[in-house]
Amino acid sequence: MADNPPKPIIEISQLHRTYLVQDKSPGFWAGIKSLWNRKYKTVEAVKGVSFSIQAGEMVGFLGPNGAGKTTTLKMLSGLIYPTSGSATVMGYVPWQRDDAFRRSFSLVMGQKNQLWWDLPAADSFELHREVYSLEKDRFEKTLGQLIELFGVEKLARQPVRELSLGERMKMELIASLLHEPRVLLLDEPTIGLDVVAQIAIQRCLREYNQSRGATIMLTSHYMKDVEALCERVLVIARGSLIHDGKLSGLVERFGQEKLLRLHFEGTAPPDWVTQLGPADIQGPIVQMRLGRSEVASVVGRILSHGGLIDLGVQDPPLEEVIAKLYAEDSEDAKAGLNE
Amino acid sequence: MASELAFRWNFLMKIALELLWLVILLTFYKTLFAKTSIISGWTEGEYLFFVGCYYTLEGVIESLFLENATEFAELIRKGDLDFYLLKPVDEQFLVSFRKFDWSTAPKILIGGGLMGIALFQLDWVFDPLKVVGFVFLFSGGVALSYGFLLALASTSVWLVRNQSLLELWWLFTTLMRYPREIYQSGWAWSLWVFFSLVVPAMLVVSIPSEIMVRSLDPFWSFWVIASSLLVLWASRRFFQLAIRSYRSASS
Repeated sequence: MADNPPKPIIEISQLHRTYLVQDKSPGFWAGIKSLWNRKYKTVEAVKGVSFSIQAGEMVGFLGPNGAGKTTTLKMLSGLIYPTSGSATVMGYVPWQRDDAFRRSFSLVMGQKNQLWWDLPAADSFELHREVYSLEKDRFEKTLGQLIELFGVEKLARQPVRELSLGERMKMELIASLLHEPRVLLLDEPTIGLDVVAQIAIQRCLREYNQSRGATIMLTSHYMKDVEALCERVLVIARGSLIHDGKLSGLVERFGQEKLLRLHFEGTAPPDWVTQLGPADIQGPIVQMRLGRSEVASVVGRILSHGGLIDLGVQDPPLEEVIAKLYAEDSEDAKAGLNE
Repeated sequence: MASELAFRWNFLMKIALELLWLVILLTFYKTLFAKTSIISGWTEGEYLFFVGCYYTLEGVIESLFLENATEFAELIRKGDLDFYLLKPVDEQFLVSFRKFDWSTAPKILIGGGLMGIALFQLDWVFDPLKVVGFVFLFSGGVALSYGFLLALASTSVWLVRNQSLLELWWLFTTLMRYPREIYQSGWAWSLWVFFSLVVPAMLVVSIPSEIMVRSLDPFWSFWVIASSLLVLWASRRFFQLAIRSYRSASS
């Protein structure tokens, strides 16, 4: 008899969230008029989103600004109630905010600061220990491990306001991991950080996921984060889920082109190369974009001519695919408004 | 406290202002009793006890809750309430008592001292029943004030910017700053009825003071306890309703 698949650690079904927002005309008189005649419009931030995540997965949650990523994460954290639909995280309904649920997960928001600004991070960690009722020995052991993992041994006693953005983010992550959450929801954890800090945080998150088996859901506009950490991605646009699958599948599905890189013998490519289509020529190296369906025939023609030292066919960078996807979504939205 | 002491001059300035406020209050009291020996049935010693009781109660509310209540709107506006809702602690407790304002805490001691001096002036004879009754009624007064502030603060979820909160608290403290009897004449009767029965602001200091230095008023004492329980329950429900409507500022 086949084993039943394990129950997902995060499961959401037909989640909707609408907001009523004021529709105010600009200007002084419009402001006066709005005192007694206020108009509202309904904004559907999340429209019937469904997905499930297994324990231990690291999933990227992508989408343009205003797509509904943060709203979905906030519903999964129990911060806001959905308008309709259902969700369970570790078997709990998030918005019931059961204490046991809140002890088992963390939400990290890269644009917000939960540590005491004027005090050293160590003081915030100590408060965290009290709030989560952590045993002192276990707390100190975990804290020591995290401080070593993030490489911030000398910074814990420095007021948070005096730390750099990258150092502060590391401290925020340490605070979020002190109670050893099983589920970690990260909303742009590397925003504003330099490449070195981004890579350090990616490494720490990967190690935490591997050593603790924690489930991580990550939103980020830095595709390097997603590429480094997530095999699976969910893409949301205008409140609806438009892709749920492997990261490579995203490129295959939405990347309509391939990048061709040719390295010819000599100092310049032969003349016939320009007949293949628009190309970027730098010395003997030629780069060009081809539709996926054209690749086989064009490569066949090139090989039949000979004179090549090297040939490479690559997918376009993930940033490019995502940017195109977002741009298309934005154009669709404008078209929808104009209809 | 560590956070407060990080800005020690601000901390010391706040204490100095509280002391100045006490001097004004006592000057007002002495000026009144220089011209009369009794105000609406309250003698000078009894009135001093009332002032001490008021000062203590205000100190308790300001130290424990006033700053937290006024900052609640800011937490909502910036979306920082998120962090409080994520913690495995009762949200109301965390929002209400997340900071203790140490700069107003001396008011509790000073108020206690004033009450002690007043009792000494009145040759008060120790009566444990009166003390127990006072503790109950004083707690009722604190609960009424807290519930009122919590309900006001909760409206910030919908209003987002709630600048009227402090003004309403000032109205509340103005009503509790003087013995309720001074309102029991002329057109002030309607105010007395409303702020004794519907929003019992006039009772929160008067009734606890009366049991210690005057006499127990059974009906109004019962009403302080009953209404405080009612207000605590209603304000909690209202707070929970507000949290359900929390939208969390976008990041």
